[in-house]
Amino acid sequence: MASTSFKDRNLIAVIGDEDSITGLLLAGIGHINEQQKKNFLVVDAKTQVSTIESAFQEFTERKDIAILLINQHIAEKIRPTVDLYQQAFPALLEIPSKDHPYDPSKDSVLKRVQKLFGD
Amino acid sequence: MEALFFNTDTGYLEAIVRGYKAGILAQNQYANLTQCETLEDFRTQLSATDYSNFLANEPLPISTSTIADKATQILVDQFNYLRTNAVEPLSKFLDYITYAYMIDNVVLLITGTLHERDTHELLERCHPLGVFDTMPALCVATNVEELFQSVLVETPLAPYFRDCLSASDLDDLNIEIIRNTVYKAYLEDFYEFCTSLGSPTSDVMHRILSFEADRRTINITINSFNTELGKEQRAKLFPAIGRLFPEGNNQLAKADELDQVRQICENISEYRAFFSDTSSHGNGAAADGLGAPSQLEDHFFSTEVHLNKLAFLQQFQYGVFYSYMKLKEQEIRNLTWIAECIAQDAKDRIQDFIPIF
Amino acid sequence: MSGVGARENVFATRMALTNTKLRLKGAQTGHSLLAKKRDALTTRFRTILRKVDEAKRKMGRVMQLASFSMAEVTYATGDIAYLVQEQAKQATFRVRAKQENVSGVVLPAFEVDRVAGSDFNLTGLGRGGQQVTRAKEVYAKAIETLVELASLQTAFTILDEVIRATNRRVNAIEHIVIPRLENTIKYIMSELDEMDREEFFRLKKVQGKKKRDTAARDAAQAAKSAAAPPPTADEDREAELATNLLSSKDADVIF
Repeated sequence: MASTSFKDRNLIAVIGDEDSITGLLLAGIGHINEQQKKNFLVVDAKTQVSTIESAFQEFTERKDIAILLINQHIAEKIRPTVDLYQQAFPALLEIPSKDHPYDPSKDSVLKRVQKLFGD
Repeated sequence: MEALFFNTDTGYLEAIVRGYKAGILAQNQYANLTQCETLEDFRTQLSATDYSNFLANEPLPISTSTIADKATQILVDQFNYLRTNAVEPLSKFLDYITYAYMIDNVVLLITGTLHERDTHELLERCHPLGVFDTMPALCVATNVEELFQSVLVETPLAPYFRDCLSASDLDDLNIEIIRNTVYKAYLEDFYEFCTSLGSPTSDVMHRILSFEADRRTINITINSFNTELGKEQRAKLFPAIGRLFPEGNNQLAKADELDQVRQICENISEYRAFFSDTSSHGNGAAADGLGAPSQLEDHFFSTEVHLNKLAFLQQFQYGVFYSYMKLKEQEIRNLTWIAECIAQDAKDRIQDFIPIF
Repeated sequence: MSGVGARENVFATRMALTNTKLRLKGAQTGHSLLAKKRDALTTRFRTILRKVDEAKRKMGRVMQLASFSMAEVTYATGDIAYLVQEQAKQATFRVRAKQENVSGVVLPAFEVDRVAGSDFNLTGLGRGGQQVTRAKEVYAKAIETLVELASLQTAFTILDEVIRATNRRVNAIEHIVIPRLENTIKYIMSELDEMDREEFFRLKKVQGKKKRDTAARDAAQAAKSAAAPPPTADEDREAELATNLLSSKDADVIF
């Protein structure tokens, strides 16, 4: 089913705080396409939840993104949307940030993993 | 002769600075800070120092960047106090200190302008010491020429920027080159200015600035390995002062690898230790688990601190002001580092700061 | 009897019975095949599950290292966040998707695809360049872990979906299709049996009727011959011949 759709996905998108983004960009994932669309969104204390939501929607709908990284504490802010997200592409990964260590119990995928292990 | 009249104009401010200097955190305070388990403990510990309760009104959880911002703010306030009370030529000297920050701000603004960013957001990110009146106007410029004609010509930075007008379009590579070219011009100019102030200020400042220049030279050399920065271009970025100049600079311009840099630096006895792995400089904890380059950076920092400390040994000169600023900056870096280590639970690296006293 | 459980709407004929039996056989083969597939997928799924769990935890550590190296950069260079954000143009760190086949399910796996780029090479030229380079490397490694995790996770999501679908099919076959076919067969069999019994009964009935008729006729014959005075020999023979002819003719007509 997915044999055609993921071939042209080769970017990593990220929604995160400044430090995470800086690091990831340093590694070279940053990309700005012809429409001046970035593949990253910097979230700070002032960023509106709606902005995060719309960025999340945009990244999940774009056809060139293979992996979407999101800081866990930001995912917390839009948790319902994140939990609803079930698509295989782009793969959604919750990553820890500098100020917020990783909490496996909040991860929507890990929650499913744990549930499956539970049965 | 200078010393005779020094106190009439500058005695008060020098006393103030020396007073400030007494407030710089000492070893035992650092020892306390490194014992903290959380950032809240950290704040409590800091409130017992000269920082008192600068973080008292911050909502929890405190981020490390807030700590850095607040600490910088204190430094800025102190500096502004000095600046407003200063008279010529000290006021000029203090202005020179701010130029370095101005350069960074200008470069930041240019970068932002290139990508059509929101001006207000940019201005917030500028270093408070480098703010100047016409700064917002920078955002309208689209090329270096225009930038220079409309904005920079009004600022004290104008002479520095004149050299890099040849860079016709502003792309990212050029920006970094502009930054370094301008900084080089600034260092040379500052050096000149200190010479004009005469001894003992010039003695102290020359020592510090020479080191700063050498540090930049070495850093630029090492960092430009394997980049598209050509050797000729590299040579242009080297400040024409410092102990490596001119012989060492010429050799560094041709260097291709770290070993060559090491050999060149062997010629200067003080720098010899930087490249030897078993050096006694810095603290022992820095040595393990790190490659040679980052040790080098540590050596640079500790030498800088050392030189700046020496500046306080001499009276009747302006070097103390510069040194105080630099020491304080190092202290802010240290605080941020410790806070970072606490926040990220990396206790094994917490000792890797450069203690001042 | 045939009303128990759902069944297919067929005419109870031998032809239909043969067809349904064939279909039942097919359904059973399909069921065992699907069950095998499910088992294979589940085995795979379990491994992936464990790996996802491990990788997620590993990621926690790796990212911590990475953000720590970022702290080192900040220590040495100052705030470079903005410059870095503005300098991003083309991704040099991309991923490439490849496929892997597990029991007919195409699982994508991501591979790191790095082109040596010149981005940020000059960041921290004057100060802290080494730290920047180091942070770059550490983050690149961290992203490799993330990419690995992403492939695992995608595999996890897809497998999960496929396993669910397979499970649905297995269950559907097991609990709906097979019982229905079985019911149909039962129904057809019972209908056929019923028809057999009816036929048998009908034959019996006909035979009984025939017997009774024969008996009645015989009785009537006997009564007739007893009541009439014995006629003259000629007359008698003539008459007897006529009746005999008639009756035998009659019997022929009836049967």
